[in-house]
Amino acid sequence: MARTPTENIRNFCIIAHIDHGKSTLADRLLEHTGTITTREMQDQVLDDMELERQRGITIKARAVAMPVKVNGKTYELNLIDTPGHVDFQYEVSRSLMCCEGALLLADAFQGVEAQTVATGYAAIEHDLNIIPVINKIDLQYQRADEVAREMEQSLGVDADECVRVSAKSGINIDQLLEAIIDRIPAPTGDDKAALQAMVFDSHYDEFRGAITYVRIMEGTVKKGDKVQFMRSGTTHEVVELGQFRPQQTPCGALFPGQVGYLVCNIKSLEQVNCGDTITTVSKPASEPLPGYHEPKRMVYCGLYPSDGQDFKELREALGKLAINDPSFEFIPESSDALGFGFRCGFLGMLHMEVVQQRLEQESDVDLVQTAPNVTYEVITKRGETLEIHRPQEVPDSGEIEEFRQPIVRVNLIQPEEYVGAVIKLCQERRGIQQNTEYLSATRVMLSYDLPLAEVIYDMHDRLKSATRGYGTMDYDVLGYFPADLVRMDILVNGNRVDALSVICHRGDADRRGRAVVKKLKEEINQHMFEVAVQAAIGSRVIARETVRAQRKNVTAKCYGGDISRKRKLLQKQKAGKKRMKSVGNVDIPQKAFMAILDTGESNKK
Amino acid sequence: MNQRFDNVDRDTFRPALALPRSVYVHVPFCRHRCGYCNFSVVAGRDYLVDRFLNAIETEIGWLDRQFEIDTLFLGGGTPSHLSPANLERLMAAIRARFSLADNAEVTAECNPNDLDEATASALAAIGVNRVSLGVQSLDAAKLASLERDHTADDVHRAVERARSFATSVSVDLIFAAPGETRDAWQVDLDAALRLQTDHVSAYELTYEKGTQFWNRLNAEAITEADEDTQADMYTHAIERLNDAGLAQYEISSFAKEGHRCRHNEVYWNGRPYFAFGPSAARFVDGVREMNHLSTMKYFKQVEAGERPIDFREQLSPEPAARERLAIALRHVDGVECESFERETGFSVAQLLGKHGPSWQQDGLLVMDDRVRLTSAGRMIYNHISSLIERAVA
Repeated sequence: MARTPTENIRNFCIIAHIDHGKSTLADRLLEHTGTITTREMQDQVLDDMELERQRGITIKARAVAMPVKVNGKTYELNLIDTPGHVDFQYEVSRSLMCCEGALLLADAFQGVEAQTVATGYAAIEHDLNIIPVINKIDLQYQRADEVAREMEQSLGVDADECVRVSAKSGINIDQLLEAIIDRIPAPTGDDKAALQAMVFDSHYDEFRGAITYVRIMEGTVKKGDKVQFMRSGTTHEVVELGQFRPQQTPCGALFPGQVGYLVCNIKSLEQVNCGDTITTVSKPASEPLPGYHEPKRMVYCGLYPSDGQDFKELREALGKLAINDPSFEFIPESSDALGFGFRCGFLGMLHMEVVQQRLEQESDVDLVQTAPNVTYEVITKRGETLEIHRPQEVPDSGEIEEFRQPIVRVNLIQPEEYVGAVIKLCQERRGIQQNTEYLSATRVMLSYDLPLAEVIYDMHDRLKSATRGYGTMDYDVLGYFPADLVRMDILVNGNRVDALSVICHRGDADRRGRAVVKKLKEEINQHMFEVAVQAAIGSRVIARETVRAQRKNVTAKCYGGDISRKRKLLQKQKAGKKRMKSVGNVDIPQKAFMAILDTGESNKK
Repeated sequence: MNQRFDNVDRDTFRPALALPRSVYVHVPFCRHRCGYCNFSVVAGRDYLVDRFLNAIETEIGWLDRQFEIDTLFLGGGTPSHLSPANLERLMAAIRARFSLADNAEVTAECNPNDLDEATASALAAIGVNRVSLGVQSLDAAKLASLERDHTADDVHRAVERARSFATSVSVDLIFAAPGETRDAWQVDLDAALRLQTDHVSAYELTYEKGTQFWNRLNAEAITEADEDTQADMYTHAIERLNDAGLAQYEISSFAKEGHRCRHNEVYWNGRPYFAFGPSAARFVDGVREMNHLSTMKYFKQVEAGERPIDFREQLSPEPAARERLAIALRHVDGVECESFERETGFSVAQLLGKHGPSWQQDGLLVMDDRVRLTSAGRMIYNHISSLIERAVA
């Protein structure tokens, strides 16, 4: 494999909303560059995880090198795939660091969506050259001219520069390839300089260990080099390196501007941090590349085996998952109500769902999940900063100097007629309006600052129902800000049920408390005695419901056949593993542990 | 296909393992299916009667010898729906393997409308001496809502006729029907008491899955009486019937002195019984079996020479003892502690565990030489029985 001169390399990514055709466009580029033949084309090569296919989203970034001959010159186009969801914002930013340009893709009918805008801004911040691309121009109801104006309005790109394509039918793909070569600048870098390679992704191969994805910023890396991961401080030998074309294709060296992979006999992904800088031991770089930080888990929830004996199995399953996904963490915890389980940290709600689904698919564990919560910060009177991952960790109110919650900037794009409904939705969730912008005559972008806790649970669903499915949203974490927060406890016959505690705004506590105890009243079966369900802040009870004692519970008939029928039913129930959790002597059905969230939110209507 | 009975070690101390002295036969025919009924019933298909009698003859014929029995119960469905000739044929099939002991109790469930002169004579001729009438109510509106096709007058005539040949007459009543008030039930119950029968079974309406009532309840076309109303109606029934000389002896059963249903007591006392016909359940040699609920499936299996069994279970000693105790507590007399332990190998106190003392303290259960529930305990019988059985479930 001859070396491609640096000036003939183009590194770019595709920014698009779900369903706007990113994967199809990637497939077409692979085909038109001859990287892959039509016959080899497995539909949508880049989304290779089954789960991603199921959900139609790209979870993990990948990279593919495409050699192409244009006007007699051979170019190397590196397409770096970016995750399409806010949960993976940091990963997106690392991928953008590795590119000089971005294709901003919009559907010719649906137009610009919030996610595209958010990632588009991020690309502009990283000084990438943007090529606006309008896809699906062969749709019967395409409105490409309008969409071009929307792109101009929302992202400040030149409407005249839009490349109009149909990825599905292969229209104007060659024109797009020319635009990539003409408009995206070549990378720079000195192959004699000290090595600086940016780690932007990794995956775990059962036989070869960690496969580290890198973009060479400065210097050269060769097979056999001793390299150092500058942030994690570990040293390894490069046993293989190469590029994805799209299969792993080994080569002797990677030069500045190139994108490829390293295999270094690393046995766990824990040591391979996205954003780390790799240099050589013999001639180390003086500084790592900027912008690195540890994965930030924004959402936590408890995962418990639904049968006490499966604890070990669950631990093994979580361990297996963590090897492949360093951004997911889990630590053992125990709950009076649920027994032994794990507190698990996720980048966001989607990440949580994905992990949960994988657990259930890849191992045979039945899960009980507690209501998810965001990470809070408490500044104590003594000046310490505590990270709060679960409500039980909130100290007594007397020890709290300041209670902080994560605030996000949310961009919401919807047709004009739904603006009122969306504003109402945001206001109910304690949003502060920042901006209103008309992207076109009929589409409006609203910006709100909202507590993350108000956004993660069901904001997206609510937005969809408020806008008949036309609204889209995306958000950026702004940071931690003080808020009037309290921990609300639930007491069942005077016993606090730890797994039911929630952190909420003081102003919402009464309403939420009432909703929660009402829901619990429905979920808890009648007992022989009265069951009091209370919501309390500290020692102050804010809501109470009573499950009446059972007065009568007797089946009228019991003859020969009824006895057999009852036995038959009992056998079925045993097979169905119906479980209750006892608190004191009150049986609480497992359903109640998740019901907490549903109620609090649905009452906001 | 012969069923043999010489391979079990008969132990006089284990009555459950004794040879059964009771027989139940399920006659699945009805004129129509009532909205609350989930029994195994074929309505309006009388052309299947011959096929049914053939199957019963076959099924009973599989027994390899003759047995003497004390109780025979013809249930359904509606046995009285059979013609006199078919009733005779049914009894002949039973008599082919079972002989009735002196004083044997022979019960037939009858629809008030069916009990004409001819049917009454036929029932008398085959030896029926106890009639259980499916009255349910004497109130015209309630009868209509329960989809019964008889009137109060039909009931009066039927009771008279039953008394002409039976030594014991019983009526079934339903309370807490959709929309029924406490007052209405009191009036209805008083009307039933004027029939002066020897036995009353008073059942709270149960909404069973698979019935029309169940569907209507879920569609909110009808509403179930609330817990307080049900409890008040039940309490009133117990008091009123007791005052009228019909003492409660089981959760839903009330009888004058000497008129308890001996056949049903076999179930509650954990004694064994044979059973034949679709959906019929038997308890023989410590094994519970239930025939297929579907009449057609029952026919096909029997005709193919196979036992038509849908469910079969033999409990290990402790669950069996727990079930025995739980069922016995439905009976007002409960069970004698010493013989219970001798029969099952488990003491009552041991099986009740920590619940024993606490239930006694709460006035739900009494324990001396017998263990039995108080009226408060019977009110929450399901809760108590599930705790007794849950320990091993």
